[in-house]
Amino acid sequence: MARFILRRLGLAVITLWLISVWVFCSIQLLPGNVGRSILGPLASPTAVATLNHQLGTDKPALTQYKEWVTGVVHGDFGTSQKLQVPVRPQLTTALRHSFELALVAFLIVVPLSLIGGTIAALRLGSAADRGITITGLSLSAVPEFVTGVVLIAVFGIWLNVLPISATWEPGSGIGSQVQHLLMPAIALSGVLFGYIARMARAGMVEALDSDYVRTAVLKGLPRRTVIWRHAMRNALLPTITVIATQLGYLIGGLVVVEILFNYQGIGRLIFNAAAAHDVPMLEGGAMVVGAVFLLATLAADVLYSLLNPRIRHGSAE
Amino acid sequence: MDDIRRTSSELENHLIDEMIAGRITRREFVRRGTVMGMSIPLLSMIVAACGGANNSGGGSGSTGGGGTPKKGGTIKVAIVVPTGAINPVTVGDQGGLCMLGQVGEFLTIADPETLELAGHLADSWTPNADASEWTFKLKSGVTFQDGSPMTSADVVYTMDLLSDSKGGSNALSVFGGVLDKGGTTAVDDLTVKFTLLAPNGNFPYLVSRDNYNAIIIKNGSDPKDFQNTFMGTGPFKKEKYTTQVGASFVRNDAYWDKANPALPDRVEFTFYEDEPPQIQALQGGTVDCVGQISVSGGRALLTDPAYTIIDVPSTAHRQVHMRNDKAPFTDKRVRQAMALSMDRPGIIEALFAGKAKLGNDSPFAPQYPSTDTSVPQRAKDIEQAKQLLSDAGMANGFSVTLNTEKAYEIPDLALQIQANAKEAGINVNILQQSPTVYYGDFTFGNSPWLDSTMGITDYAHRSVPNVLLGAPLLSTGTWNSAHFKNPTYDGLVKQYFGATDLQTQKGIAKQIETLLLDETPIMFLYFYDFLGATKKSLAGVVITPVGHVQLEKAGFTT
Repeated sequence: MARFILRRLGLAVITLWLISVWVFCSIQLLPGNVGRSILGPLASPTAVATLNHQLGTDKPALTQYKEWVTGVVHGDFGTSQKLQVPVRPQLTTALRHSFELALVAFLIVVPLSLIGGTIAALRLGSAADRGITITGLSLSAVPEFVTGVVLIAVFGIWLNVLPISATWEPGSGIGSQVQHLLMPAIALSGVLFGYIARMARAGMVEALDSDYVRTAVLKGLPRRTVIWRHAMRNALLPTITVIATQLGYLIGGLVVVEILFNYQGIGRLIFNAAAAHDVPMLEGGAMVVGAVFLLATLAADVLYSLLNPRIRHGSAE
Repeated sequence: MDDIRRTSSELENHLIDEMIAGRITRREFVRRGTVMGMSIPLLSMIVAACGGANNSGGGSGSTGGGGTPKKGGTIKVAIVVPTGAINPVTVGDQGGLCMLGQVGEFLTIADPETLELAGHLADSWTPNADASEWTFKLKSGVTFQDGSPMTSADVVYTMDLLSDSKGGSNALSVFGGVLDKGGTTAVDDLTVKFTLLAPNGNFPYLVSRDNYNAIIIKNGSDPKDFQNTFMGTGPFKKEKYTTQVGASFVRNDAYWDKANPALPDRVEFTFYEDEPPQIQALQGGTVDCVGQISVSGGRALLTDPAYTIIDVPSTAHRQVHMRNDKAPFTDKRVRQAMALSMDRPGIIEALFAGKAKLGNDSPFAPQYPSTDTSVPQRAKDIEQAKQLLSDAGMANGFSVTLNTEKAYEIPDLALQIQANAKEAGINVNILQQSPTVYYGDFTFGNSPWLDSTMGITDYAHRSVPNVLLGAPLLSTGTWNSAHFKNPTYDGLVKQYFGATDLQTQKGIAKQIETLLLDETPIMFLYFYDFLGATKKSLAGVVITPVGHVQLEKAGFTT
């Protein structure tokens, strides 16, 4: 297992390096530049060129990339060309915010989806099954920003019981923070519920139909034991992979929700950096999101092998 | 009156003559007098001596809310997130300029509504005979927030940074061709002389709040460090600034103007990426004021009695260019036909619920004192448009692609143009592009903005039309997307820039307006109002057409 993890971590470093090269090459192809994004469309080309020179963004692309890589190797993510502030504190704060939102969303959606999927599988073909499946599909079809706008209108403006902005006042307690994150987390949960519940339902249906479950039933084990100890453990395996891949989306892919609820997460940070050609900020953000994706899938694989002896023994051999 | 005449300059006496002769109204006299550096009491005295009350004042639509604002409290404001660092030299966006305006102050201030100029850090100013040199007297006793006095050395340092043609200053869009580094000199501790590159009768506007970069910063201070210090002379001082998130400021108890301290204890700004969350934040009670709303986005607030809409007339507009050197617009009759097919009042009603002024296909907005409003307003005339197309050999109409920037109300304007043009037999195909793609590399040959046959471009408010007469329309103009080249026009603009008295400016303006109406290189369909919104219980918020939200005189009424 240790060798497996080390090999995966080595591959992750290579993947991150490839991401950094790809992101750097992509930004070179985009029209515009940092000086122009700061001074605006109507600034003179001379002023823009001078500002780019002052910011160092007119250096050859390879030089800029070398400088960035050298900095990262030494633990320095550089300074944002657009905002003129160090990149690392910005990334740290945004990542913490994104994790907090993802955590609240997961705490809502994972238990609900697993319970929903399991109930649907246990009552296959019943009204409850159809109800859960249709609700899940319907919620998945509605984009999170639409759900978000409805939530804001109802709970934020009409009933005025939840804060409209997801950003809390400095010094707020954990209760207040969760309250601020509730609406965006519910909006995200709506999108994820259908997907995770469907996977849980399919896994559970397959498990319930398996030989080992039939054997357990015929052995005379109580229904609860059959479901929890035999069916659920196997049914969760594909669902874990789905949940792990969704973590990456929840950390780095929430630009619209973050804008709607005025939340400074890493998705919004990367989006703005890309729009402004801010290479250090964009590269730093891409590295962080890439690392989260890779670590999440690694964690899913490790968990998968722990729950599935066949994989564990296979890797040991 | 004779005493005033004796002590007044040649230009000031000329202005008095213009009013006595009835060639300018009392309001125009006051507005122009302030530009020449004449004080409001002096102007009032002259108006009274000439047999009338000074009626230049009046209610200001730029100030929100009724009732008397109370001292104290925290005012929470939603504004758009600054696009870059808060550096007075490089800021070029509404969020950034709003931050500068909280702690920084300007030599002069133009009233957001009347465009009358008043001294702020400057006490008075006078031009030489041809307005190529302007001498500003600074107020004494002005101090920065660290207690150090503001002197002419600070003004020289600031203006040199902003006007350096070899630097990366955003203010070069105002100072370019007018003032360069070294043109500002200290005469004594409280007197500064500006030696201009060419005569400019409107120069005091160029150092006003409308040139939002021109806050006076400390001599020798690093503008890149400004977002850490926020060191200015203003009534607020920084409490906290968090990049991309927000900022808060507290009253500067050591403010130099003891008679006008800030009313609120504290002001708090939250940055938003988009308009809808700002409006929702106001409706949900998270903020007390939104710095800018659009008619389409803020329609729910416009009719809700719980909110006050701050409505400031501005000269901001959209330019619809038609390439003069490219078919089908090489014939001016085709351009005229396009302009004649537009239902301008209908477009204003549809896009702005009436909150805009009619454009007459020139940069001369109705607000400018120099605009000659006697030039007939172009109105929709489909029959004439069809006749012009027929005369140009296009009796069956033509097709053209309209490049549009996907921003603000511009996509809706494109649809309006499409529908209106169809009535004259013109088929407009709309090509929507993101602002990044539309502006491209900002150079001819590499930008849909500058290269397209027809396009729509957004232009911000300007207190004087000089920039708008230059870059988009001069033969050598760097923003000349219409590729309009007319030596007569170029000559008239040069004369206009050099004119120092209003009557001469107005005479030249009439010629320019008439020429542009005939040539129609660009359609100017409207000049829209700048809108902001506050809770009903908040009064005294001042919003300027460039996007400042000034809160020093604001407070809650209940």
